[in-house]
Amino acid sequence: MIGMLAGQARQHTRDPWNMLYGLRPLGREKFWVFLLLAPTIFGLVVGAIGSVIATLALSFTNWDLLTPPNWAGLSNYVSLFTNPAFSKALTNTIKFSAVYVPGVVVVSLLVAVLLNRPIRGRALFRTLFFLPAVTSAVATALVWNMIYGKDTGLLNYLLEQLGMQPVCWLCTKNVMFAVVLVNIWGAIGEGMIIFLAGLTAIPRDYYEAATVDGANGTQRFFRITIPLITPSIFFQTLIATINAFQAYDYIYMLTRRGQGDSSFPVVVFSIYRNAWNFFNYGGASAQAIELALIVVFLMGFYLWLERRYVVYE
Amino acid sequence: MRKSIMIFSLLLALVVVLSACQPSPQATQPPAAQQTQPPAAGGEPVEISFMAWGAPEELAVWQKIVDEFQAANPSIKVTVEVSDWTSYWEKLKTLLSANTPPDVFAMDAPLYLDYQSRGVLQNLQPYIDQNPDLLKDVYPVTLEAYKTPDGYYGLPRDFQTVVIFFNKDMFDKAGVPYPQPGWTWNDLREAAKTLTQDTNGDGKVDQYGFTADLWDMELTWSEGIWSHGGEIISSDKTKTLIGSPEALQAWQLFYDMMWKDKSMPDTNTSGQYGLDLFQAGIAAMTPIGHWVVPGYATATFKWDVAPMPAGPAGQATSINSAGFVVAKGSTHPDEAWKFIEFVLSPTGQTRLTELGLAIPVLKSVAESPVFLKQKTVEINQQVFLDSLKFAHMKPVFKGYDEWSAVVGDGMATIWTGETELEPTLNDVVQQADAVLAKNK
Repeated sequence: MIGMLAGQARQHTRDPWNMLYGLRPLGREKFWVFLLLAPTIFGLVVGAIGSVIATLALSFTNWDLLTPPNWAGLSNYVSLFTNPAFSKALTNTIKFSAVYVPGVVVVSLLVAVLLNRPIRGRALFRTLFFLPAVTSAVATALVWNMIYGKDTGLLNYLLEQLGMQPVCWLCTKNVMFAVVLVNIWGAIGEGMIIFLAGLTAIPRDYYEAATVDGANGTQRFFRITIPLITPSIFFQTLIATINAFQAYDYIYMLTRRGQGDSSFPVVVFSIYRNAWNFFNYGGASAQAIELALIVVFLMGFYLWLERRYVVYE
Repeated sequence: MRKSIMIFSLLLALVVVLSACQPSPQATQPPAAQQTQPPAAGGEPVEISFMAWGAPEELAVWQKIVDEFQAANPSIKVTVEVSDWTSYWEKLKTLLSANTPPDVFAMDAPLYLDYQSRGVLQNLQPYIDQNPDLLKDVYPVTLEAYKTPDGYYGLPRDFQTVVIFFNKDMFDKAGVPYPQPGWTWNDLREAAKTLTQDTNGDGKVDQYGFTADLWDMELTWSEGIWSHGGEIISSDKTKTLIGSPEALQAWQLFYDMMWKDKSMPDTNTSGQYGLDLFQAGIAAMTPIGHWVVPGYATATFKWDVAPMPAGPAGQATSINSAGFVVAKGSTHPDEAWKFIEFVLSPTGQTRLTELGLAIPVLKSVAESPVFLKQKTVEINQQVFLDSLKFAHMKPVFKGYDEWSAVVGDGMATIWTGETELEPTLNDVVQQADAVLAKNK
């Protein structure tokens, strides 16, 4: 059954109209479709694609924002490989994403499954998990700073009560896991909403039929829930990956030191600093292009995975 | 399907054309921009814009200054915009690159050459030549940062000297005498040791003798290096000198206070107490500038200020100023200059001083009760002025922002305890020299 469904999915993705609505605009309808889409397309083309092209062009120049840009050839791209500060930022971003993406998908799926049951206070729990998404990241990061404190933090206080040694959470050794944890915590809410939508769409009958056939809870989860929720997993992985490569606010607030410095610099941080502090707009553009290429490459990989494994009903 | 691809490619082509048509910055600057338009007699007032960084309460003070300026010059209207430090520089750079800069804008002295050397500032020398008395009463050391071979492209409006702020209550409780003029780094180190305590007896230190920002040079390590006879950067701005034997003594002092005496918290320890350990009542002493005075005035403990301690090469502190510049593309440079003149007048300087954040550049105002007897808090304000005797100008050079990031980030691992002092320092000096070479 899964193979058949996957085959259908493949057909769907080939035809954009069918993928969206299963309907094709005919004749004069096409005119109206494009007319109504025109303002959005115009904004996208000029705003988004325009700035992408501008960034691409600027990445081949030396530009300090104040004097006219001059041609730099590939030198900005060469320095992506020779600049130790950027290599550090890129390594940090990749390490961060490698832990964050699976983490956020798994945790928010588990939370969604738990909160999809008829338990008491379900609405309250859902609200609590969603709260970080609507709270200022800067403010919550400051609270996390207090939780992570070496001598005065809540977390170490709890560890000591349990007779364990206090840990320096934000020291270089542990800082990545500390920021990943906060970022996952902050993203559970949005992931939960996506998974809840997917879970409620699974017909009850499947579970009933499986129960009658003698499937236990674990089997139902892995044989029914997981396969039928693959579109949500796919979507959530995609969003989490994009967010991971753009993560900045929590990380900066938890790791800043000195003036605009961070003990866990990530690529977005490096782009900002080169453009706005170091008068190096060209270098910053090249870094942005590299970041975009990595994300595009990963998206391509995900789309390939989607064709193989994602089940559309 | 084919049609939509065609439309898309048409749109894409449009984008390319549009972006090609975009005016390249600088190229379209109207030649008329340099000409001054005379203020229309009796007609519409000339409008100039002024931009500065600062807290919201600073906007009110600037507005007051502007109101008084406009009352004296009815033909000129000034619009003021105040934003926080980070937004200010982003906005400024964007406006400059779009060729729509504000007529007058605030400048931080160390960043001045990064702008001046890129030709976006108006030379103010012709105006100064017409009014040579203007700078007579200004502290000469505050002017140094803005001097270039062809004159001033900016002028200071107020300045900061770094002094030691100390918590009197903590000193009293520990029975440590207050810092006296002429005290040394050794005295400070000993006092810091005594003041470092576990006040609640839980086996953990919760009061530190000394805390300092070791990332930027201004508050601690430039003072340390100068008072040990070292230098920050060579006079031709090509060599980073913070690795010299004299400078190393200063670094060693801070290193020992942090890791041997443990009278100064490392960055991981201080991070958990928020941004300001002195204000939080965790640290007994800290070197910082006058800008904290209004904030510290609300502290629940008694505090005062003392001069920086002396090292083997005598006393040293750092002086830094905030200033003004006029944009090169300004259509009203004459009016912009008039506004600068007004802020440098006793009236303008008095208003700025009343804000309580900085020290006025006019001697007559700084040495008057306006500065010395401020309403915010009763402290020994004279210390800030006396520090001028041994003040060194915070170095100004092109590439400052990147250089200080390389040094600050590079040394940061020492203050977290991950790397050793000397190898890290040697490494940092090399990287810093590379930045200087790039910005030649």
